[in-house]
Amino acid sequence: MNDVPPFDSDTFRADRRSLVLCGTGALLGLIIAGFGLFTAQGTRTAHIPAEDAALVNGVPVLLADLNTQLQSTYNTGLATASRAQKEALLNGLIREELYVQRGVELGLPNDDIDVRAALVNATEGQVAQDALTSRPADDELRAWYNRHIEKYADQGRMTLNDYVIPADGSDPARIVSRLRQGAAPASLSLKSSGRVDDGEEFYFAARIHLGDRLFAVARALRSGQVSDPVAMPDGVHILVMLKNIPPIPATFEQAKDAVLRDVLDDKVKRLQAGNERFLRKRADIRIAAALR
Amino acid sequence: MSRTAVHYTTAAAGAAILLLLVVISIGVHRHALQAAILRADPDTILADPRLAAFALDRGRNVYRRHCASCHGNAGKADQGFGVPNLTDDDHLYGSGQVSEIEEIARFGIRSGNKRGRNLASMPAYASAHPYALEPLPPQSPQQIEDLTQRLLAFTGRQTDQAAADRGEKLFRTTAGCWDCHEFNASGDPSTGAPTLTDDIWLYGGSHDDIYRSIARGRAGVSPSFERKLSVADLRDVAVYVANLSRRSKTHD
Repeated sequence: MNDVPPFDSDTFRADRRSLVLCGTGALLGLIIAGFGLFTAQGTRTAHIPAEDAALVNGVPVLLADLNTQLQSTYNTGLATASRAQKEALLNGLIREELYVQRGVELGLPNDDIDVRAALVNATEGQVAQDALTSRPADDELRAWYNRHIEKYADQGRMTLNDYVIPADGSDPARIVSRLRQGAAPASLSLKSSGRVDDGEEFYFAARIHLGDRLFAVARALRSGQVSDPVAMPDGVHILVMLKNIPPIPATFEQAKDAVLRDVLDDKVKRLQAGNERFLRKRADIRIAAALR
Repeated sequence: MSRTAVHYTTAAAGAAILLLLVVISIGVHRHALQAAILRADPDTILADPRLAAFALDRGRNVYRRHCASCHGNAGKADQGFGVPNLTDDDHLYGSGQVSEIEEIARFGIRSGNKRGRNLASMPAYASAHPYALEPLPPQSPQQIEDLTQRLLAFTGRQTDQAAADRGEKLFRTTAGCWDCHEFNASGDPSTGAPTLTDDIWLYGGSHDDIYRSIARGRAGVSPSFERKLSVADLRDVAVYVANLSRRSKTHD
């Protein structure tokens, strides 16, 4: 008994058609796959999304970026720029994208120190950006303010005289005593050190002008007080405090912009530290025996 | 199944298909509108009622979700945090164009994004190093008072003319204020240095507010939403915010 259908039978034609279609499909698939594989067009989309000016190997060049460039270069926008202007800038953006992609292919993030530094900065900045998009609640800001209230004090201010007693046999203790009794400095022929003769100063400036040791003495004086003699390398100093206004803490309302800034800075630092911990944790880092 | 039941079933199926077609049509229409908004020059959108209406509707929702926590639902100023009034015609950066607002929403101000606005901030003159970006001399309490009197004088509120005159000299010389605020104190929208001659104050315009701004410095922040919002959201919210200012002008 012969099971092979006759050459011109319907069954034979149907089998042959199936085989041809199957082969054609496979060939077509291979051509498409090969085209995609060997021409780097695998991610190409059929149309350019509305927000894009171009796609470069599937990476979008945004119309918004083109518009920004038109404004900064030609002081015009998409609606009013000439075709030549748009073309020139778009070509520049496409060139930039091509070179960025080529740079990645060449491994520049591994080799070029500027690219590496820029990537590190940009990644840190990215964490910061994510932190800033959410506004802390008022309770959180107030809690921070209460914990760091001294930081939000205004600079203290002081107006004082700094006299130097030369080592010529004068008795500093007697001079201090006379000053405390109300004698005018001029009547005692006192000479100013010249360090704080410009009138009222902020604490930070007084510290710079007087030096840490004399500033510590000055800061403890109340308005109208005269210090004990302070022996310094250039002679004995006597400080006469005319007005001392210690730092006054700003209220929350007065300081809240600074509080918000500090809270966000702190959040950024914590997130960046957390990000680094995460990166280290997921990375496979092996250190040479000699450096462990 | 009775003939009536068959009719009802057919009618229900027809209605469902019709509803589906309507929903799809609306979706396609909205998608087309959004695409037109994205393809348009951002600064022309408000002039096109069809595009403007769509962008304002979507932009309002984006604004309420992402901007209102700082700027408030109405976009009014909050001087405590240095939040500007979005409904007036005074703009710290740029001139209130949609494209400028979109760029700020996208890249931020002092946000950590390198494309954000971060050219300058207000130095803290009552500190040993008032400004990180360039050397500026600290000012004494009297000098800060003189500068404060100068700024008050722009709106006729100075209480010591001699101090205001000294402040004017400081402004134009050693204090370096002119560098950002210009010699005539008109401000510079490219760096975000505000105009000092009007009565609009980002952090309050009382004597003490001005003194504190000069003494302690200011550096407001606006986040970058580049990675948080879609391109369409950024465009729509920029249109919405630009319109807040435009609307107040219309009402005036």
